[in-house]
Amino acid sequence: MSDEHIAKSVRAWAEPRHLDRAHLERWLALDAYSAAAILDAAARLRLRVGQLQGALEMLEEIALVDKTQVSAVLARAPLKRILEGIGPAPARARAFVDELRAMRFPRLGRVLEQMKAEVAALKLPRTVAVALPKDLGSDELRIEIRVRSSTDFRDSLRALEEKADAVERILDLLGGGN
Amino acid sequence: MNFELDEIVIEERCRQSALAARVISRAPAAVPVNFIADARDAIRRTASAADPFGAGKRRMAVMHRRAPFLMACPAGSSEFACCGYLVLVLASNCPMDCSYCFLQEYLADNPGVQVYANYADAFDELERARRRTPGRALRVGTGELADSLAFDRMTGISRDLVEFCAPRDRLLLELKTKTDEIDDLLTVDSRGRTLVSWTLSPPHVFLSSEKGTASPAARLAAASRVLEAGYKVGFHLDPVIAYPGAERDYLALLDDLFDTISPARIAFISLGGLRMTPALRSAARRRHPHDPLLCGEEVLAPDGRYRTFTPLRAALLRSLERRIAAASPAVMRYLCMEPPSIHRRVLGQTPPPAAALGRALAER
Repeated sequence: MSDEHIAKSVRAWAEPRHLDRAHLERWLALDAYSAAAILDAAARLRLRVGQLQGALEMLEEIALVDKTQVSAVLARAPLKRILEGIGPAPARARAFVDELRAMRFPRLGRVLEQMKAEVAALKLPRTVAVALPKDLGSDELRIEIRVRSSTDFRDSLRALEEKADAVERILDLLGGGN
Repeated sequence: MNFELDEIVIEERCRQSALAARVISRAPAAVPVNFIADARDAIRRTASAADPFGAGKRRMAVMHRRAPFLMACPAGSSEFACCGYLVLVLASNCPMDCSYCFLQEYLADNPGVQVYANYADAFDELERARRRTPGRALRVGTGELADSLAFDRMTGISRDLVEFCAPRDRLLLELKTKTDEIDDLLTVDSRGRTLVSWTLSPPHVFLSSEKGTASPAARLAAASRVLEAGYKVGFHLDPVIAYPGAERDYLALLDDLFDTISPARIAFISLGGLRMTPALRSAARRRHPHDPLLCGEEVLAPDGRYRTFTPLRAALLRSLERRIAAASPAVMRYLCMEPPSIHRRVLGQTPPPAAALGRALAER
């Protein structure tokens, strides 16, 4: 496929979907293989415009950090599996964006998984919800108690008290403690 | 340092000023010097330029400053544990081009380099500030909207400033720089009232993100020389960028620092994680598309800035703080633009009020 044909195909995808000019220009500025690879992904997964914008940004950044091309990133096994997989396109599109995010933020991903596991291990009653800060952007742990009776209230407090050490450990992890 | 200028414009009312004479006599012969009624037009962004901010750095205006010279640090906020720094604006913008620099956003509309012919008015403002605050030590710096020493070879302003501050007690002048332009300072007796501080980064960050600056080794060598000439020295590890391997590199940087300068002779070291507003991040990525250090694991923090995600940032800052404390518990450490909870996690204490921290730093 010639560069000109690829550019034409990219525009044909972008224009009816009103992809913004900045992202279109970034897409067209990629080498032909990479531009074509993104087009292929967009078609296979029926990416929405917002998903494509996010994917394009993450792909460029991963390629820059890893000193490679976007096409090489898209050829990596985890993404290739999703692209070539079967199943509803929307679910695969979500999985694709999630996988890109895991590649773009590898250390954040690992720490988040660890912390989510620690929160799950608290096994608190349904009346108590523990929420980590979004993307671990702060060190604030949010604990919410929702009750309709004094029994539920006292049970919730008791459950939290029993797990105080574990909650403190999560707070410590939020602040970079080991 | 060498930097390239496309043009020098001099405001007509500044034509006879000492600063204009100095700049004209020291400017490279090939750089055109033009006179203009109002230089405010000359410093505005040139929309037609491919890189308006970069184009602004190549245009110097010698002009009259119409606003006060002395102001509170623009980074100050009740959200952060602040150091009470006062800023003296003797110049605006910088010939160097660090990819993470906040000036890319702050000066986006007026990127032309400004140096002020009426800078002596700043001395009057400083004197009035001193008289308004009897008994209180003030720490004032010229390195917030510009590098304190980058233009000194052309302007010679720092020398005048050091001479002004030398006989005045309760006044600590901080010259913050990424250059090794210290020769002029070595000919002035600061009487210990001027502190020269350097932003320090590991070689990896210097090579990737600090275009036009002196190398880390050159900065340390310059620090050593000014220390021997009677100046105080301080260091800013800011921004700390949490790339893979950063902890190893920053610890090695601290080892280099302490091998060059005895910790006992360092007035303070500040630490601050990389932080960028969305607008700054966008501008920086656009101007420095090939710098991978702008694509780290920064996420949106509650203050609306992109920052390294908290556990990683806090762990890295704490590691550096511990290395500094191990070298010498007496070295004053503080954080820049970090929330109080991070202050507690890294320094192990609630941050003092800005006035108290400012006083403590001014009295180093």
